[in-house]
Amino acid sequence: MPEYQARQTIGELLDRQGISRRAFIKYCTAMASLMALPPLAGRAMAEQLRAARRPSVIYLSFQECTGCLESLTRSFSPSIENMIFNVISLDYDDTLMAAAGHRAEAARDQAMKANYGKYLVVVDGSVPTADGGIYNCAAGRTAVDILTETAKGAAAIVCVGTCSSFGGIPFADPNPTGARPVSDLIGDKPIINVSGCPPIPEVITGTLLQFVTTGQVPDLDEHRRPKVFFGNTIHDRCYRRPFFDQGKFAKTFDDEGARNGWCLFELGCKGPTTYNACATTKWNGGTSFPIESGHPCLGCSEPGFWDKGSFYAALSTGTFGRAGNLTPRDAAKLGGAAAATGIAVAAGATALARHRRKVRMTDIQTADTQKEE
Amino acid sequence: MSRLGDIPIRIERPDFAAMAGTIGGGVTAILAEIAALLDRLAAGDEPQAIDLKSLPMNPGDREQLIEALGSGEVAITLYADGESTIRETGVHGVWWTEHRDGDGEVTAAFIEIARVPGILIVDSDELQRGAERLRSAIGATRSSE
Ligand code: SF4
Repeated sequence: MPEYQARQTIGELLDRQGISRRAFIKYCTAMASLMALPPLAGRAMAEQLRAARRPSVIYLSFQECTGCLESLTRSFSPSIENMIFNVISLDYDDTLMAAAGHRAEAARDQAMKANYGKYLVVVDGSVPTADGGIYNCAAGRTAVDILTETAKGAAAIVCVGTCSSFGGIPFADPNPTGARPVSDLIGDKPIINVSGCPPIPEVITGTLLQFVTTGQVPDLDEHRRPKVFFGNTIHDRCYRRPFFDQGKFAKTFDDEGARNGWCLFELGCKGPTTYNACATTKWNGGTSFPIESGHPCLGCSEPGFWDKGSFYAALSTGTFGRAGNLTPRDAAKLGGAAAATGIAVAAGATALARHRRKVRMTDIQTADTQKEE
Repeated sequence: MSRLGDIPIRIERPDFAAMAGTIGGGVTAILAEIAALLDRLAAGDEPQAIDLKSLPMNPGDREQLIEALGSGEVAITLYADGESTIRETGVHGVWWTEHRDGDGEVTAAFIEIARVPGILIVDSDELQRGAERLRSAIGATRSSE
């Protein structure tokens, strides 16, 4: 990293690039809104950031599909996309950087030496541990090796995506590569999980911004996710919630209920047990989110979401969870929603779903018997 | 038809009377909050804002709110990394602000309760930089004479 970049403040860099104070306030105002801060806090954040120095960031990609990086770099307009790269100094990212081979590895070594104890490590992808970690190697070294070495001098680790946060797709049963989340391998550094498959780009940048602004790890939930973005369920903030409360559910993807925009609970929506900001931040620059496009939430920001049964089975059928049951937190959440909004409605939906499950179980048993015959 | 917003959708309005106190029926609550913030501003408190993006509003709610506030005397366009519009509503001191990025997408939308929208106020550094710029322009003109 050129030395001037380490010394100059973010404000000096913005001035050099002709980005006005008002333009930066606009960006910070948008970010403050995402962090559930009052919109006017964006002004204070802008002043604080302008005075701060850009932290060095090392971005490591392991067992992943690059969807998370795509999410970060392709979903904003170019001006906003660039803004985060004005706030951080991205010193190593083997997917994005022009350098390759020894030069690329040298960039990582240099960034680590120059900023030891202060740099941020962003990890994208799970880490394979089976068979000596051979399923993911770069420059002749395993992902376990690279992660362990890079983590040593880090101020904190930000896991971007469900793979690095919770294992994600590689971790799904039967997990042939022995994939592990970062938190299973690194125990002595603060870890912030920004889960999602992929995470919302504004949530990734917002988490990084929050760290740069305050220099501290934000408040985290029990899965180490920033509470500002993961403090509410999709269901808490869903615009279809009035229909859930009134017991109006779409039963198929093309019925009258679906056309009227009714609740997708019975089509398998995992919104009530999924913590993320999709319902408010939305996707593609605030255009829409899956539920708004008529598809139930898959629950992609929750641990083990690939192994929690069908995406199209209602939560009340009890297939959500590795053991085939809701977690106590999930159950409490659903129960809470029912209590707040009319137990009769939710109980009716649950009974209906239970009835459907019986039908399904009967179908399966009949099919099995036929197979045996 | 090039944008999502061009696709016609039918919106069934939920029965707000039946769900008073639940998320989604908040237009009256927003108006009451604005009134309280105006009182506080008049009494010497700091300006405040209500974030419109984080409220789970139906498209219908938004229209209701716009209608209730009405339109006022001042409309400002800010050109800073995308176009922003700041309009005073029919209620003095209540500003409807929408920031857009270079592609015209709304990145922040809020109602600011302030005497003058804060983003318009120039800070001291900028005043000094402006003065320096003018002095160096004068210097350049003189030296070329
Ligand atoms: S179940 Fe899904 S669609 Fe229905 S209100 Fe909750 S989050 Fe929205």
